[in-house]
Amino acid sequence: MNTFPQRNHEVAGEKAREEDRELLRRYHEQGDTSAREELIERHLPLVRSLARRYAGRGEALEDIEQVGAIGLIKAIDRFELAREVSLATYATPNVVGEIKRHFRDKGWAIRVPRALQELNASMSGAIERLTARLGRSPSIAEIAEELKTSPEEVLEAMEVGSAYSTVSLSTGPGGEEDLDPLETIGGEDEEYERSEQRAALEPALDRLPPREREILRMRFEEGLPQTQIAQRVGLSQMHVSRLIRKSLQVMREELLRIPPGAAS
Amino acid sequence: MTHYPERIELKAPLSGDFQAVVRLIIGGIAERVDFAFEEIDDLQLAVERLLAEAGQVGSVDLSFEIVQEGIRTWVGPLNEHAIADALSDGEVRPGELTLRRILETVVDSFGVEEADDNRVVVRLVKRKGSA
Repeated sequence: MNTFPQRNHEVAGEKAREEDRELLRRYHEQGDTSAREELIERHLPLVRSLARRYAGRGEALEDIEQVGAIGLIKAIDRFELAREVSLATYATPNVVGEIKRHFRDKGWAIRVPRALQELNASMSGAIERLTARLGRSPSIAEIAEELKTSPEEVLEAMEVGSAYSTVSLSTGPGGEEDLDPLETIGGEDEEYERSEQRAALEPALDRLPPREREILRMRFEEGLPQTQIAQRVGLSQMHVSRLIRKSLQVMREELLRIPPGAAS
Repeated sequence: MTHYPERIELKAPLSGDFQAVVRLIIGGIAERVDFAFEEIDDLQLAVERLLAEAGQVGSVDLSFEIVQEGIRTWVGPLNEHAIADALSDGEVRPGELTLRRILETVVDSFGVEEADDNRVVVRLVKRKGSA
């Protein structure tokens, strides 16, 4: 009979849920930390199975499991006994959320398949070759043809680089390596107060490294195209593009750190 | 055969998580009209700087109109206070880098259109073959 094993499984599942509930009661109502330990132990296989989905994206599986376990512990601690759901159901989004947050904080690995990373790596050279050959900036279609891929993949690969660049802003001149770039951006009220400073980014400009300052000067004061700047400073055009974007973002973040009135 | 203008509209969260999505969409649109790599980069930078000024809260409307000469883009409505000063007409001194100077460099023209509730929409025009 097909139904028998299924029924058996359901009974086992029901029993496990009852045991979880009893352990949760012991932990939440009596403060029994050994019950908490047992709950963690019982649900580590769930964490491992969820962590495996995120394997092969530049992070060791054990690290992903550890991060996932944090999500599990949070779920156990926050679980309300009045809830009708099982702990496994409640914990799953917590575990996945914690893993995703980890990847987001680490940067771009979760969103960037290896093939795109490799395509991004080969794009710089292709753009340089095509610019030299054509005497102008190549189109996306031309880059795609050069790399024997589709224009859509080229566009995605372009974003691979920019995603990395944006995340690495937190290692800008402020030196706050652990700071999420988004945390440095003020709320609406602050933005109103500081809007007048935005007319001039000059104080923040002074804080950039000399090379970045020179690139911005060439681009926005001399009006040189990226291709010419790239030749002058001996970098690829893509690298120049990233440095410009990164510098402007860093300057804006610097500006938000300058107390109102100090910019004039 | 393309009948101009063609229009693409998008509402995107202002949160930084979605900036790459906006850039990707701009890239996709610009690729359709055969913009050069550098021209795409310019338009992406212009929109990115405007969105950075708009803050991280709420969402923003983006409209792209494909015209024969290139792409017209509307970004907003944005909080007027957030960008009015940055785009003001004041004289730019040598060595000074303003949002206005950045837009003047990377797009062919731009303008500010008034919207409701003291908010504004910024219009950008990027022409093909202008990088």
